[in-house]
This record gives sequence, structure tokens and C-alpha cells, in this order.
Amino acid sequence: MDIKLGESVPDTPAARRATLAVIPARNEAATVADIVRRTLVTGQCDVLVVDDASSDGTAALAQEAGATVITVPFSLGAWGATQTGMRYAQRNRYLTVLTLDADGQHHPEELPQMLTSLRRSGANVIIGTYSRRMSAARRLAGRYFRLLTRLNVQDFTSGLRAYDRRAVRALASREASLLDYQDMGVLMLLSKKGLILREVPTIMSPRRAGASRVFASWLLVARYMLHTTVLCFAQLGVRARIIVRAQPATGNTT
Amino acid sequence: MTSQLTSAAISILLAGAILYLVRRDHMHGSYALWWLAIAAAILLLGVFPPVIDWLGQVSGISYPPILPIIVGIGMILIRMLRTDIDRSRQERQLRRLAQKLAILEQELGAARREVGNAAVGNPGRSRSAQVIPLPKSGDA
Repeated sequence: MDIKLGESVPDTPAARRATLAVIPARNEAATVADIVRRTLVTGQCDVLVVDDASSDGTAALAQEAGATVITVPFSLGAWGATQTGMRYAQRNRYLTVLTLDADGQHHPEELPQMLTSLRRSGANVIIGTYSRRMSAARRLAGRYFRLLTRLNVQDFTSGLRAYDRRAVRALASREASLLDYQDMGVLMLLSKKGLILREVPTIMSPRRAGASRVFASWLLVARYMLHTTVLCFAQLGVRARIIVRAQPATGNTT
Repeated sequence: MTSQLTSAAISILLAGAILYLVRRDHMHGSYALWWLAIAAAILLLGVFPPVIDWLGQVSGISYPPILPIIVGIGMILIRMLRTDIDRSRQERQLRRLAQKLAILEQELGAARREVGNAAVGNPGRSRSAQVIPLPKSGDA
């Protein structure tokens, strides 16, 4: 049972806001301020940093850099933090949500291109993909999950994404609250709701600081693969409506 | 006859403990009902073991003592399944509650700053800064 509170902003066209960039961050003090500044410089969005119970002053640095900061009371994981941003966006009537990582591997300079793709393509979700960064193991994992779900996505763990209002509504829902990562589970949920996903090639850097939360050690990878397999199993029968890499094209479903 | 005494003593002890816990309000709603039913079953089978033999005959099981064991294990499995379902539901609620709390905290902070700024701009009212005007309940 969720506590229902009055919406803080009335849903009138005038009250709707354009775009919110959601940056989930856990102990990313080294990079978060830089990412926030570079995102603000694009001039296309408000910036929200969701501090996933960091202990290194990430929240203060992000706030100083000009972001709105939400600090969750205990660690909710990467997806829990991102979903907090989705719910904030819904509450404040944002039309579009961008997500990017705080560790510096995603370039905020790519965001305008993602927004343009979202507007032009007719897709509900744009996934920023950088295929060259993927290791052999990751490719293999990708192939395995594509086989399992028939979701035709190359880079299913990419956290660089643009969501329209319908996608945000789907992801802010209770249904999405037990997911742990912004990956297969999120993509399957979106395609189950009939939303159109599209991948757009982008430029990314290797991680500057910290380590990937998913591909950190073999044990974690094994756990992750098992976990996601179960998730895929639970969602079996999902058919994806996906358009892959036809960058600024009109929306034709496959 | 001693075996019947032993089983009766054990079952009375167990049922008594459950009854005590339920009466002390340590268990909530449907849990209390479940455990009361378990206590009643333990009491019945422990005090009157022939019931087990009779049940075995009725159900066609040639070795009746296995019956309460199988049923017991089945009950434990069902109970564990329900516990995990409950835990998943609570986890979902807990996460959503934490998210809502964080969002409201942010809004509260922003509202406080706004009120603070207004008080700085209007020093005559700064003493009443403790009073935060909220919209009437119908306005939201």
C-alpha cells in the first residue's frame, strides 16, 4: 500500500516542464560535479541527482554544481535510485526524462542528440549504445539474453537513455519497483507495455573512477546472469517492438 | 501408555506456547489464526494418537505415522512460500516508501529555503518564520 499524496503540481499544459536529466549516483564524488555542470551547459534540461545513500559527499558536490538533489534514506540500488528520479519527474510533470551515469562514462554532450532522436523517431525510448566498449563476455551475455527474450537490443545495460512521458509512467509504476538494474527487466517491462525502443550509437568513455556495479567480479556476474535469467523466465512471451539503428528515421516497427 | 503421555505432554507444551504468544499479541491477524489451527491440530494428534492410525486407514496409507510428517512438511512449505510472497510485497512497499520519503524531503527542503528567503526579504516577519503557511486542504 502506497501513501497517496496530492500531486504537487497541477497537470495543466502550462505546468508541464520539458526535460529532466536523472543522474543516479553512489559514491561518485570524483566525477558527479563535472557531469552535472556539463549537463546543465547543454541548456536542454533540469538536472536531478539521486544520491543513493553515498558516504563521500556526493550530494553536497552535486548541489553545489547546480543540480537538484534527492538523497534516499538507504541504498536502493542503481535502479531504485533511477526510479526515484522517474517518480520525481512524474510528480513534477516533466515530459521527457534522460538518464545517465555519474561516473563519467556517458558524455552529457550526447544528450541533445538523444532528445532529437526521441522527438524525430516516434520511439518511446532511446537507448544510447556504444558497441565498441563491449567486451566479449558482455557480447555473449547480450546474445544469450536476446535469444531468451527476443528483445533486439545490442547494449542492454546502457544507462544512457531518453524516455518519453508514457515510458516514464510505466517505469514509475509499482510494477517496476522490484527490479534491481536498469537493464533487461526495464526493457522487457517497456516492451510488454507496447512501447517502442530504439538504439542510437553514441560515444562513451571507459569508466574513470569506481567500478561497474554489474560486471565487477565473476561471482557477481554469475549472480547477475542467473537473476536476469529468472527475470526473463518470469516475463517469457514478451515480444519486442523494436527499431534498431536506423538513426534519424521515421518510426517503422519490426 | 507412556508414549501417549510423552506425546500428550509435548503437544500440550507446544499448543500452550502458541496460545500464550497469540494471547500476548505477538502475532498479527491471519498469522494468529494459522498458528491457533496448528496448535489445535498438535493438541488433537498428541493427546489422541489413535486418530493418526484411523486417518491412515481412511486414506489407505499402510504406515500411518508417516502421515503427520508428510502433512507437516507440506504445511511448512506452504508457510515458507507465503512468507516469501509477503516479503516481496513488503520489499516493494519499503522501496516505494523510501523513494516517496526522499522526494518529500527534497520538496520540504526547497519549501523551507523559499520561506527562509522570503523572511530575509521581509525582516519584519522573520520572527514568525516558524509558521509555515500551508495551502488549505482543498487547494492541493
